[in-house]
Amino acid sequence: MPDGGPSRLHSGSVSKGRRRRSSSIIYVEPPETIEQLSDQVALPNLNANWVNNKGAWLIHPVCIAGLKIFYDTIPGVSQETSWTLTNITYMVATYLMFHYVQGIPFEFNSGAYDNLNMWEQMDNGDQYTPSKKFLTSMPILLFLLSTHYTHYDLTFFVVNCMALMSVIIPKLPSFHRMRVVMPWSQTIEEVDGEEPS
Amino acid sequence: MTSSPLSSPSQIFNMDYQDALALLVTIRDMAIVQFHRIPGSAILTRYIKMSYQHDPARSVIELCLVIFAIQYLLAPKYSTQKKNFVKLRPDEVDELIEDWTPEPLVAPLTEFEQEQIDKTPVIAGPTGTKVKLTNGRTVTNLASTNFFNLANQPALAESAITTLRTYGVGPCGPPGFYGTQDVHVDCEQDIAEFIGSEACIIYAQAFSTISAVIPAFAKRGDIIVVDEKVNFATQKALQLSRSTIRWYKHNDMDDLEKVLKKVEREFRGRELTRRFIVTEALFEDGGDVADLGTIVKLKFQYKYRLILDETNSFGVVGETGRGLTEYYNLPATDVDMIVGTLATTFVGGGGFCCGSKEIVHHQRISGLAYVFSAALPAMLATTVSEIIKMLRENPENFITPLRENIKTFHAALAKTDTLTITSSLINPTISIQLNGKREMSNDEQDRLAQDVVDECLANGVLVTRVKRIALPAGMSKGPKWFGWNPAMVVKVYVSSGFSKKDCEKAGSVIRSAVTKVVGKKR
Repeated sequence: MPDGGPSRLHSGSVSKGRRRRSSSIIYVEPPETIEQLSDQVALPNLNANWVNNKGAWLIHPVCIAGLKIFYDTIPGVSQETSWTLTNITYMVATYLMFHYVQGIPFEFNSGAYDNLNMWEQMDNGDQYTPSKKFLTSMPILLFLLSTHYTHYDLTFFVVNCMALMSVIIPKLPSFHRMRVVMPWSQTIEEVDGEEPS
Repeated sequence: MTSSPLSSPSQIFNMDYQDALALLVTIRDMAIVQFHRIPGSAILTRYIKMSYQHDPARSVIELCLVIFAIQYLLAPKYSTQKKNFVKLRPDEVDELIEDWTPEPLVAPLTEFEQEQIDKTPVIAGPTGTKVKLTNGRTVTNLASTNFFNLANQPALAESAITTLRTYGVGPCGPPGFYGTQDVHVDCEQDIAEFIGSEACIIYAQAFSTISAVIPAFAKRGDIIVVDEKVNFATQKALQLSRSTIRWYKHNDMDDLEKVLKKVEREFRGRELTRRFIVTEALFEDGGDVADLGTIVKLKFQYKYRLILDETNSFGVVGETGRGLTEYYNLPATDVDMIVGTLATTFVGGGGFCCGSKEIVHHQRISGLAYVFSAALPAMLATTVSEIIKMLRENPENFITPLRENIKTFHAALAKTDTLTITSSLINPTISIQLNGKREMSNDEQDRLAQDVVDECLANGVLVTRVKRIALPAGMSKGPKWFGWNPAMVVKVYVSSGFSKKDCEKAGSVIRSAVTKVVGKKR
């Protein structure tokens, strides 16, 4: 047949966009395709929108206070350790929630947000929104408090400071959609960039 | 002082410097007083004093953090979305609007399209093996998928009317929302028992069945390995699923294994996602049979799920019409999802998907065509149930004459080099590939096939041809178009209702029409 049969071509999703250069460890998530965008806007992003709700801000100080009380009740824990543990717990929890987990745990847009973490999903990726400002200043405030109450002991200071950096750096606008890929990891490589044979 | 002629400029400067210093001190003192009036200022002073603790480096870090926080808090909001439009002035907008002439929503018909519409035969009365056209002629109908000639059976019509009197025409609601009636449940059970699978779900429309089934299970990141010749409905389903699609050469089992191996190699060590193989049983394009035995073997070996589109084979393939699994002597449970239509052989409407209980149950809440379409009219469901009962009781009444007729047609058509029959001997839809000149444009190919169809009709045989689906505007380039582009194919739908003589006669009419039209153009 001259041109018989359906033209064998790959799906409408990303093709060359997700192909990663093997030499680089920095990888920037490419912009979404039309299909991804239309799936993203099909329904409100329930996974990320709640941070703008009433009470979503209040829960942070409440949780921090709760953590502090919890660590205080453990016998043998000094004030310094208690503050440091509170700080580390809060930082780790927010890191996991906002920067580590990608995608949406519920299925309502055929995985259109699979490549973005929650910080990038929030407010459609806009920077310096009120929620982002609040969520950035919260760990800084907690850090200043905890260094103060650990009486500026150098070890505690270093530990707290590193915990803080791990949540502040991914929040910076210049790190938006940026990933660090280990050379041995295969998590991001070309997925469907193959041309039909 | 400044009036003294002896005063040098440096003295003046000194004097001014002293004054300025005094002023600064005053301002500082005032500021400190004011600062102490602010509530909480004592705490801040104490905090800063304590923070310092003879370690300036740490204080600098803290100060930097505070400055960063303040700078972050004061920064204006901006969007990271790429703006892919040009900002226009109002007069430019007006100018563009002035210049714009809208294209018609539907392009005007071409001469060939108009001709086809004018020549479309219209059947007066019910369909069947012999039909009466509106122009008064009676022709042999080989253009309807009425494979067992059940479309006009009085017994079936009567039972359909009885159902109509009881249940009304439509259920007026989606199955999950008061649309399900007892006859639907019975029909699902009948189909599942007939095929030999655990459960079955019926959809109200055949074309949208597979485009509901595939996206219900596959989403972004999942891998689907597909035969390159799957039909248009399946292609749409693949597009809707947003999955990663890998094609294998049509019915080439070595290539399929190569693709499966490649996928395995490529996705090793990654997050495990769902994987599917999708194929048709009898191909819409070409009419040949999928090598199900090998596909099932490979599916188990490489741990895939198999979605089989039995649209053209359900009811007509296999000793008792149970489809391709029966033809290959495989249990239907080896195929994870069997999708088929109830609108052709079973003269009802809608489609179905058979599989395990879990697979069927999942579709009841996530098969979009099931959730958001009104349920199948009750009389169509009962008709399907009746036909399945007839098929189970004596399949030889239907399958044997159909087989005979297909053979007769193949024999009658096989004696000329102007055509090639690409469809299999078990396929009641005979695909006749016209062997025209190789270097013909699409329009010329369509014209040639249409001429064959017209010539057959002039000799009292109604056949049809495969039409292309034109590329939608804006999708002409790039890899996103799947497409449906078979060339010069005439289709003949054989029915068990014909006598051997009918078949031979129709076959010879088609053959001579092809020889006449194609031979002239060669």
